Order: sequence, then C-alpha cells, then structure tokens
Amino acid sequence: MTVYAALVVAVVFASGTFLLLQRDLTRVVVGIILISNSAVLFIISAGLTRGVAPILPLEGEGAGDPLVQAMALTALIIGFGVAALLLAMVYRLYTTHGTVDLEEIAAAEMREAEALERTDDPEREEGPEGEQDPEAGSG
Amino acid sequence: MTHQALIVLPAGVPWVLAALLTFLDGRKRWVGMLGAVGLAASLASLVWLALVVLREGTVETVAGGWPEGVGISLRADALGVTFAAVSVIVVLASLLYEVALGVRWRAFPPLVLLLVAGLNGLFLTGDAFNFYVFFEISMTASFVLAGYREEDYQVRAAFVFAVVNLLGSVVFLIGISALYSITGSLDMAAIASRTDALDPSSVIVVAVVIFSAFCLKLGLFPFHFWLPAVYVGSHPPVAAILSGALANIGSYGLLRFGGGVMPRELALGAVAVMVLGTASIVYGALQAVSRRDTSEVMAYSAIGQVGYILLALGIGGPVGFTAAVLYSVVNSLNKGVVFLAAGLRGPLVGAAFAVGAFSIAGVPPAAGFVGKIAVFKAAIAGGSAVTGAALVALVFLGSALSFLYSFQVYQRRFLAPQDGEKPGPLSARLLVFSLAALLLLLGLWPEPLVYLSQAAAGALAGGSG
Repeated sequence: MTVYAALVVAVVFASGTFLLLQRDLTRVVVGIILISNSAVLFIISAGLTRGVAPILPLEGEGAGDPLVQAMALTALIIGFGVAALLLAMVYRLYTTHGTVDLEEIAAAEMREAEALERTDDPEREEGPEGEQDPEAGSG
Repeated sequence: MTHQALIVLPAGVPWVLAALLTFLDGRKRWVGMLGAVGLAASLASLVWLALVVLREGTVETVAGGWPEGVGISLRADALGVTFAAVSVIVVLASLLYEVALGVRWRAFPPLVLLLVAGLNGLFLTGDAFNFYVFFEISMTASFVLAGYREEDYQVRAAFVFAVVNLLGSVVFLIGISALYSITGSLDMAAIASRTDALDPSSVIVVAVVIFSAFCLKLGLFPFHFWLPAVYVGSHPPVAAILSGALANIGSYGLLRFGGGVMPRELALGAVAVMVLGTASIVYGALQAVSRRDTSEVMAYSAIGQVGYILLALGIGGPVGFTAAVLYSVVNSLNKGVVFLAAGLRGPLVGAAFAVGAFSIAGVPPAAGFVGKIAVFKAAIAGGSAVTGAALVALVFLGSALSFLYSFQVYQRRFLAPQDGEKPGPLSARLLVFSLAALLLLLGLWPEPLVYLSQAAAGALAGGSG
C-alpha cells in the first residue's frame, strides 16, 4: 500500500513540476495546484492505518488515524485559497500584457527597463555636469 | 490563568482587527491609524508576555481547553517572544510609514494585520502543523502585499514570489507530515524527544527537506533566485516588511526546527550549513558591491546577511544560537531602516540610512556591532583554531564588503546633489529616524538584547532538547 501511495504522490508531483516549468502562466498555476495536492496525498499516506472510522464510542480496536484527515482538509483549504489568488494574479497580468506567455511578459519587462533607461539618460546629461565630473574622477 | 489568556493576544488582536478593517476603507487615514493601534496593542501584549516568560519561564496552554497531547498547544518561550516582538516593531514602523505617505489600497491595513497575526501565531505555537497554518496565513498576506501599488513589475514580482514560496510551503508541509509519520506526533517537544530515539539516517532526510524550505524563505545563496526581483520591485514599506519581518520566519524556523527539534541532525549537517552560510555571505556581498540601485544593493545584501545567521547556526551550541538570535534581531531592524530610508530623501533620512549602513557593516555605535561581535565570539568558541581563524577572517571580509557597498549607496543616494525630488512627509522621515535611533540605542546599551538572546538560546537548548 505504501508503495502505491508513494507512486501516486511521485506521479502527481512530477506532473506538477513539469507544468510548473511551462511557459504558459495558467499551466504554471495548475502545476502548483498539482504539487500542493501531491503534498495532501503525502499527508494522507503519512497516516495509512487500517481501522474503523474514528467516531466515539470506538467499537473494537484499531481506529483509522483521524489526524491526517484533519491536516489534509486544512491543507486543501489553504491550497484552494492560494490557487484562487494565483489565478487572480494571472488574470491581472493578462489584462495588462494581453498574454499569459511567460516569454512575452519577460520581453515586455525588458522593453520597460530599456524605456526607463532611455528616459533616465538625458536627465543625467542635462544635470549639473560640473558636479558629476569630479565624482566620476574620484570614484 | 491570566498568563494563558495573554498568549492568545499577540496573534488574536491583529487577527480580529484585520477581519473588522476589511469592511472599512483602508485608504482613509484613521483606518490605517486604527490598524497601527492594533499592532501597538499586540506589541504591548508581547512585551508583557516577554516579561512573564523571562521571570517565570515558558508559558504554555492548549487551545480550546483540550487535554494535553490532544489539543493544539500554544507555547511562548524567550525565542518566540523575541522574534515576534522584533517583527511587530518592523511591521508597525512600515505601516505607520505607509499611512504617512498615503495608503493606495483599501485592503492594505487589514493585510498587514493578517500578516502580523500569522507571524505571531507561528512564533508562539508549540505544534508543528499549527506552525504551517499560521505560516501560510502570513505568506498569503505577503503574496498580495508584494503586488502593492499594482505597477506591472510589482504584479510580476508578486507572481514569482507567490509561486516560488508556495513551492517552499509545500516542501515544508511534506517535511511536517514526514515528521508526523516517523514520530506519530505534531507537538514539537514530543517530536524532539522521539526523534532522539530514532535512527538519524531516517530523520536527516526530513531535516534536509525542512531545512531547504526555510532556506528558500530566507533567500539563502542556492535558493535566492527569487529574492532580488521581489525586493527591488516592492514599494519600500512592503520591502521592509518582507525583509525585516517575513524573513524572520526562515531564521526562526531554522533555529526552532534545527536547534530545538532536531539538534542531532543539525550537528550532523553542521559543515554543510556553514558552507552554505559562507557561500551566501560571499555571493551576497560581491553581488551587492556590483549593483547601483539602492534597493537592488540591499536585496543582495539581505542574501549576504542571512549567511551570518546560518554560520552561527552551524557553529551551534549556546554561543552559536545566541549569536544567531542576536544577529537575526539586529538584521531585521537593519533591513527595516535601510528599506524604509531608501524610499525617502533629506538629511534626516540620510542620517538614518547611515546608522543602518553602519549597523549592517558592524561598526561600533550601531547595534550591528553587537551582532558581529556575537558571531565572532561564536566563531572563536566553535571548533579548532584553524576553522575559528578562517571563520573570523570570513566574517571580517564580509563586513568590509558590506561597509563598502553600504556607503557606495549612501554616497549615490544621499550625498549626490538632490535633483529636485521631494523629501517625503516629515512624519515618515521622523519615523525612519526614530527606528534608526532604536538601532543606535541597542548598540550603545546592548545588555537587554544580549540577555534576551541568551534566554532565547537557553530555551532552545533546555526547553525541548
């Protein structure tokens, strides 16, 4: 049983990692969701015990571990919240850049940085040159 | 009984207030001030709690009145209280700063309060899974805050920040459940006593997983790739919160899980920890020297500074842990001062930045000197003469480089002719100045800080070992 659980966790985690490395931001988000779900599966498999449902009064012996289920639920809820936040961010990027492709967004970033430098440069040249020169000499 | 109630306040007050403030418009000045009052109340309760903890030892309670071992335990010891107080001070200063500048988002004050609630919760918990939950509360708040002001580059940085740190959280969660699997408990004290009985070869795997998760949060050298992009793009108070308060999760987690829960595994991996710390110091300092932009320099400086904490942690023992706590406290105040000062201009702010820069470089009047001395002491105390000398030389080199880059920035930013930029509101400048004055005060009168750090290290060595 542990081997199967480990296999499932491994496959989910690996597919999540694969998606995380894609260029499409929505896929990145899906990848993160898959990875966080693999952690939930890992929690479940951390308490793999056979037994009856852990409801009082306990009948017989060997109840299943209730704690891992509580943890898994908590982790799932956190995962949902963060996934929603990430999707909102992707949407925000889409509205401003018109794309969810990582490379196109990176290209936009480069253009912005260059534009910034171009607007910066003339100001520096127009500035007090007499005061800039000695500084350049001493530095 | 009152002490048990007191432990809930530092996280409870900002949490409830955050829920209330969500319904109000945070752009209004009074709403921001209300949030600041809540943070001040949280800080006051922390100081009170610290006095109780120092006088009577660890305060402990179980949430919801459950019997011990069933419910979630809340535990306040000197280590947790110290980290919580410092983080709240930095966040409070950042919030006041942003209120003085004018808040742009209606959700800004409640998000800051939620972040503090998460931070205080995780510093004052004795339960590993509860630690994760509070950790996620503050991380999620910080993901949103990283995009504050909504410039395109800030949203991009926030996305990177969120994805990378989420991965770190997942890795940490896996580490926690692996700990649960091998020890059958989530209580940190119980885990600590049970891991001692286990074969180190099974625990070390978990230790490495948890270690990498915290290093990712701290932005140590091999895990640092996300850090410059996020700190550079962020609005100054947000950068101060991320670097001065949120990064404390990493150093606290390393101290708590490394020094408190798995000390044997930390000793096993001490060499690796110290090598990573060294790499971080050298890489951070060299990168910082080569950058021009103030926040970029300080971002790389942050990578270098956490290296000292890791170095002290690797040396271990009471001296090493004391140095690590002391350095983390001083470092988070330093970062608060320099990132806040980076957003303003004028002689008052220039003086504040100079104090912060002195503190980063470890020059005597500022508190950084105390931190550096502690690391020096730990380096000499831990290990043979050769490694001791090498570590001292390394710390000295790192300090010299940080002196260089700090004053390069100072020269460019505050000594260069002011090209008509507005200096910013006077209240914000006074605030930055008073935070720098605190740094100076701690440097001139370091006894309380040293005493607190020793108590914190004592809580690690004695409390759960």
